[in-house]
Amino acid sequence: MAGSDPQKLMTKADKLTQLSLTRWSADWKNASVLYEQAANGFRVAKNYDKAKLAFEKASKGQEMLSSPWDAAKHMEAAAALAKELGNWSEVADFYRKASELYNECGRSQPASDALAKAARALEDAVPEDAVQLYIDACEILEEDGKEQMAFDLYRAATNVYIKLEKYTDAAAFLLRLGLAADKCNATNSQCKAYLGAIIVYLYAHDIKQAEKCYNDCSQIDAFLRSDQNRCASKLLSAYMEGDIEEIKRLSQSSTISNLDHMIIRIARKLPTGDISGLKMDAGKEDEPLDENDLT
Amino acid sequence: MSVIDLITRVDAICKKYDKYDVDKQKELNVSGDDAFARLYGVVEADLDAALEKSETAAGEKNRATAVAMNAEIRRTKARLLEELPKLQRLAFKKIKGLSKEELEARSDLVSALKDRIEAIPDGSTTATKKTGGGATSTSYTGIKIDSNSGGNFDNEYFQETQESNQFRQEYEMRRTKQASCFVIVLDQGLDVIAEGLDTLKNMAHDMNEELDRQVPMMDEIDEKVDKATSDLKNTNVRLKHTVTQCVEVRVTLVFKQLPQLYPL
Repeated sequence: MAGSDPQKLMTKADKLTQLSLTRWSADWKNASVLYEQAANGFRVAKNYDKAKLAFEKASKGQEMLSSPWDAAKHMEAAAALAKELGNWSEVADFYRKASELYNECGRSQPASDALAKAARALEDAVPEDAVQLYIDACEILEEDGKEQMAFDLYRAATNVYIKLEKYTDAAAFLLRLGLAADKCNATNSQCKAYLGAIIVYLYAHDIKQAEKCYNDCSQIDAFLRSDQNRCASKLLSAYMEGDIEEIKRLSQSSTISNLDHMIIRIARKLPTGDISGLKMDAGKEDEPLDENDLT
Repeated sequence: MSVIDLITRVDAICKKYDKYDVDKQKELNVSGDDAFARLYGVVEADLDAALEKSETAAGEKNRATAVAMNAEIRRTKARLLEELPKLQRLAFKKIKGLSKEELEARSDLVSALKDRIEAIPDGSTTATKKTGGGATSTSYTGIKIDSNSGGNFDNEYFQETQESNQFRQEYEMRRTKQASCFVIVLDQGLDVIAEGLDTLKNMAHDMNEELDRQVPMMDEIDEKVDKATSDLKNTNVRLKHTVTQCVEVRVTLVFKQLPQLYPL
């Protein structure tokens, strides 16, 4: 197909949709077909800008024809082209629109898939938006009771948070992962999520939080019985004793090496900061308690 | 006369008249008459010699010579022990000039001698030591502890020297090291196996979860495919109908046109 043909198709389609004195209602059916053809032609010709435009119009046409599925598909194609162009805001917008259209069809999986694709595209450029997209995708799946699919998304979101060095958020997300895994009885993923959360807290040098997290997680049977629990308790006791060798040895162990690769990386970097300070803090804490217990 | 001449003459006279020396005769007689005393003296002398030898053997650095000396000591001991019953018999013999107490004392002496012979350390591990002698005496009720073989050289009779201690320590160390070498190799092997098993376990868990995830998806696919097949069947049937109809129509048309095409 020559470059001019798609353009011709475009103009023809535009004419069909333009309302004027001679035309009282737009002929969306034919127009959509023509728009599609034009868009494909542009894509082949690597004219991404025009192709994107054509896809947008095609999608709109399908929407008018009350076929949200096709509309969503066109929207996604448009978004992919926007990604090629590096037009990040448009990428996000198009994917969101596509997701909504999928939701209209009542298909949650493709909806969340669309958001996930958006997030992946935006991970490097606009990580905050990417995280938001991941969260929305997870919510869609959870509403529909498909938590299993959400695991990957949670993991990806956590990775982005760690990259952004927002460790509390990352840990919170891992705990949400644990919750989702609990609903599906995916005990292995659950225990790995909890261990990951504890490690993230330790990496952020928030020992109190890590201990609290550990205590909370120990309430859960599945975690209590698992390998990951033992590893976590050993890690925390090594931290309490300020035993750096032990910490390093544990982070090389197989339990930690089976976690997500980002978590493995931060685990290998443990311990951060000064552990010997911990021992003294722990000692100091006990004394005031004893004094106050005279009541 | 010179001094030498005097001395030689005195010696000759003494020898001639020795039989008239009462004291000397008494002495000779005593030992000559008393076989027991004679034998006792011999045994005791041998015992002393063996004891001396055992002392040198204990201090001997060269294991081979020590072993040889110990063997000789053991031979001596055996020989002496053989002599002992003879001595015992002689002890009970009544001899002129000996009091009753002395007779009893003699049997005591014999048993004491026996103990002393057996007590000579010859480097071998000892079995149970007999407690205090025979029926009569009150001697030697020393309680001996049963020592099991297997390297336990802690006898009070074993005079410990520096070298023997060192040697014993080295032996113990070698024995434990040999055992722990095996254990170390086994440990390393087990560690490798444990790591492999850990990896396998984790992979298996993940596979389990993945399969669990895919089960509902498969169910959905199953439904959809079923629907699609039934649709397809329907369509096929309808298509067949349509095609047959088409064919029929065509055939009838042709038949109708035939007389016109091929007028008779």
